[in-house]
Amino acid sequence: MKFNKLALGTTSLVAMSLLAACGSSDDSASDGSGEGSSDTLSVWVMGDGNEVTQPIFDSFTEETGIEVNAQSIPWSAVHDRLLTAVASGEGPDVVQMGSTYMAEFVDAGALMDITEYVESEEELSTDNFFEGNVETTVFDENYYAVPWYTETRALYYRTDLLEEVGYPEGPSNWDELYDAATKLSDRGDDYYGFTIPLNEQTFGPMFAKQNGSEIIDDEGKAVMNEPEFVEAIDYLNSFVESGASPSQDLGIEISQSFGGEGINPMFISGPWMISAIQDQTTDIEGKWAVRTLPEGPVSNVSNTGGANLAVWNNSDNPDEAIQLIEHMTSTDSMLTYYENSSSLPARMATWDEEPFQDENVAVFGEQLENSEHMPVIAEWDRVSQAYITSFEQIIVGGADVQETLDNLNQEVQTIID
Amino acid sequence: MININRKLKITIGVVLGIWGLITVIPFAWMILSAFKTNPEIVSAQPNLLPNEWTLDNFRELFERLNFDVYLLNTVIITALSFIGLLLNAMAGFAFAHYDFKMKNFLFVLVLATMMIPGQVTMIPVYLLLNQIGLTNTYLGIVLPGLTGAFGIFLFRQFFSSISEEFFEAARLDGASDFYVFFRVALPLSKPIIAVQGILTFIGGWNSFLWPLIIANDQRFYTLSVGLQLLQGQHGTNYALQMAGAAFMVVPILIIFIIFQKYILTGFNISGGK
Amino acid sequence: MKSKKAPYFFIAPAIGLLLTFSIFPIILALIISFTDMSLAGLADYSRINFTGLQNYQNILQDSVFLKSITNTLFYVIFGVPLVILFSLTIAILINMGKSRYFSFMRVVFYSPSITNIVAVAIVWAFLFNPSQSIGLINRVIGTIGIEPIGWLTDTGVSKISLVILAVWRSIGINMLIFSAALQNIPASMYEAAELDGATKWEQIRFITVPQLKFSTSFVTITTIIGWLQFFEEPFVMTEGGPLNSTTSVALFIYRNGFQNNQFGYAAAGSLLLFVVIICATLVQLRLQRRAD
Repeated sequence: MKFNKLALGTTSLVAMSLLAACGSSDDSASDGSGEGSSDTLSVWVMGDGNEVTQPIFDSFTEETGIEVNAQSIPWSAVHDRLLTAVASGEGPDVVQMGSTYMAEFVDAGALMDITEYVESEEELSTDNFFEGNVETTVFDENYYAVPWYTETRALYYRTDLLEEVGYPEGPSNWDELYDAATKLSDRGDDYYGFTIPLNEQTFGPMFAKQNGSEIIDDEGKAVMNEPEFVEAIDYLNSFVESGASPSQDLGIEISQSFGGEGINPMFISGPWMISAIQDQTTDIEGKWAVRTLPEGPVSNVSNTGGANLAVWNNSDNPDEAIQLIEHMTSTDSMLTYYENSSSLPARMATWDEEPFQDENVAVFGEQLENSEHMPVIAEWDRVSQAYITSFEQIIVGGADVQETLDNLNQEVQTIID
Repeated sequence: MININRKLKITIGVVLGIWGLITVIPFAWMILSAFKTNPEIVSAQPNLLPNEWTLDNFRELFERLNFDVYLLNTVIITALSFIGLLLNAMAGFAFAHYDFKMKNFLFVLVLATMMIPGQVTMIPVYLLLNQIGLTNTYLGIVLPGLTGAFGIFLFRQFFSSISEEFFEAARLDGASDFYVFFRVALPLSKPIIAVQGILTFIGGWNSFLWPLIIANDQRFYTLSVGLQLLQGQHGTNYALQMAGAAFMVVPILIIFIIFQKYILTGFNISGGK
Repeated sequence: MKSKKAPYFFIAPAIGLLLTFSIFPIILALIISFTDMSLAGLADYSRINFTGLQNYQNILQDSVFLKSITNTLFYVIFGVPLVILFSLTIAILINMGKSRYFSFMRVVFYSPSITNIVAVAIVWAFLFNPSQSIGLINRVIGTIGIEPIGWLTDTGVSKISLVILAVWRSIGINMLIFSAALQNIPASMYEAAELDGATKWEQIRFITVPQLKFSTSFVTITTIIGWLQFFEEPFVMTEGGPLNSTTSVALFIYRNGFQNNQFGYAAAGSLLLFVVIICATLVQLRLQRRAD
């Protein structure tokens, strides 16, 4: 009979909470989520906004008297949440949009055209922001967002190990990179020189750009099999063939590959790795550094990423939403945001501030001057996935480079047509 | 119950012990990592036991989570999902012990719902809930997953294995169908209710997607959503994550241990009812 | 007397909810599978074009999709029997002892089911690591002179590794179901068999296993369905690689459909999978009926 009591208890608990649920559904309907009411703005930020962005919203409310209802969306569910918002048309007033998401959401009509604001408000003028980021906000000469934070890739290397092979400042061009990597891999069987990431969608295209190739040309033609592109992939493949790079994901953490003996003493990544290395390794303090990417035959252009701030297309408060975006992209807010999240400001003037004088961080500032975004097209995800598959076939499967890229180019052309 | 002698029992115990030890390693690692620092978790030479025990992860966890709100929501959602347990049992009972029109068709229909990936149904279900005004309600969060083919099927199989005679006796005494279900069938099915109860609890306790999608407000977030929020765009603080996971699993373990007792009370043993 | 209306009352709430939240969306998915619906179409229905069987034609010519089908068959053929065998064995062994120790073992074997997927991924990546100095399994087999194996990096081995991992994860719940069903076997049956001089093995073979008919059929069907939808293990461990050697149908659908917002294409893939699962289930039910 004990079980019956348990069941009874559960049932009554259920009934009570059901009542509670109905009650709370009523009052939530009345205060809404910011839609329709002009004194509350709703904002979606990705990741833990309670900590990171709440201070920025608080100061906005203090200045303007406009309440901000911020909702944090976990990174793992961003896509699902945005999809449902598009489906129902019910989004927030202001939304954080990853730069690679821009094209498809603009295409779907989810974001408001804010050209008039960008052109009239001095603070929002595109001159204030890194070009690589501005590129991701403009479609058909109209503006749909304001750059917020940025990121780019640079070369991380172990100073102690690179010194041993004659490059104390790290390799400065492609030849030196290859030379250093092969020498470092000569240390022994399980040692390598440079990481070739297999699932990094911008890696090969970035090297192709450094070799003077495009990915998709101005006329919308895919050129991922032109000689400059093929050469760049050949160059990357040579690292694997000579044993300077592992042909597989080693499945180990940065502390294991970069720390200690430095199984993999050089890799290319974004600014977030600075704190990751600091947090995860204790044994290589002062033995590593970051530098701008080694110069390729044409340039050392890097890849820009980051996120923008946009206004949802059916926001009832576009003026206030823009006001909030202006506040969020001001130097003060960007400094707060950097301190709380380590995300680099997309506003160039902010880089004069003190935190960005740090040696390692400044490298990224320098690299940003020479950094572009991957093509901003709605189909980019599919293109990059096709690229990853082909790249894996070459690196892991040993497929012929030219032939594989010919096939890839054909596939990409079908995708973008 | 097969009777076994002491020697055989010890042998089985040893076999299970060794097999169990291998099985439990990741779980143990999860719990123990909650007491490690992040550098230690990702160090090149990982140990199972922390070098230095720390409670910092839990401290940070509780400081950063809106703990009171998330916990309350999680408890409400878990409690509500137990309604589904009853509905599943009712349906399973009908499929096992009644003949009715379209029974086979309906049962195949039920099974069919198990076979479609969740992502296919996410957007239509969301639009539906949005249409009937259930966004921003607990009901909207719980409703899509309230009943499930797995549960109905499980109850049906279990009730099928109980002989019809048990129910006939009650019916001859003039008992109604509801009486038979609630006072005869349900008490007989304690073990399977316990299994289903564990599953329902875990499902509700870990619910993530619907609390996130249905809510236009963080006030409806659950512990799972809160924990996911702590994860950065690049890289993960494993220590914090493990502390969260370890914390989340404690109630599940308690429920498991409580319910396990009922799994072991088959009708031939308890006999009383 | 059994009431005629009662069964309808009993099933109505559950069926109603399932119709609304599962069957209706499936029908919608069927319609979507004949269109080119993308994110733009989701926002504005006028931008959806009816494309007939195009999605089905394309997906059946997609070499990755075909590969994902053979991979999934591999998972089902090796995974399902192992899960049933192991969970049944463990349930029976645990049931033989009545002490706290044996009860505790039930928690132990259930623990993989409640271990956070991130912890699962980290620990198994460590166990499966290809390097002999890091990977625990390779270190152990190295001591008896076996060369290190690329558990997740060798295209020939990666599927096996994922089956090992997934079997480990799914023993718990099925063991629990068998445990519950074991309570329903009358002790008198064993006593009678014992008197007739049946060995332990014969008792298991001729009493326990046949008496578990209903739960075995349940476990078989749900496990087949679950493994046909194999997703989480390749998703967190290999992302389908290397060279798509571990891509399952469900992962393929997720990657091509939902990450890229090609809803029509994804719906077509889902419905093909749906049809396969229904056929497998019907065959399974028929086989069991014949066996009865």
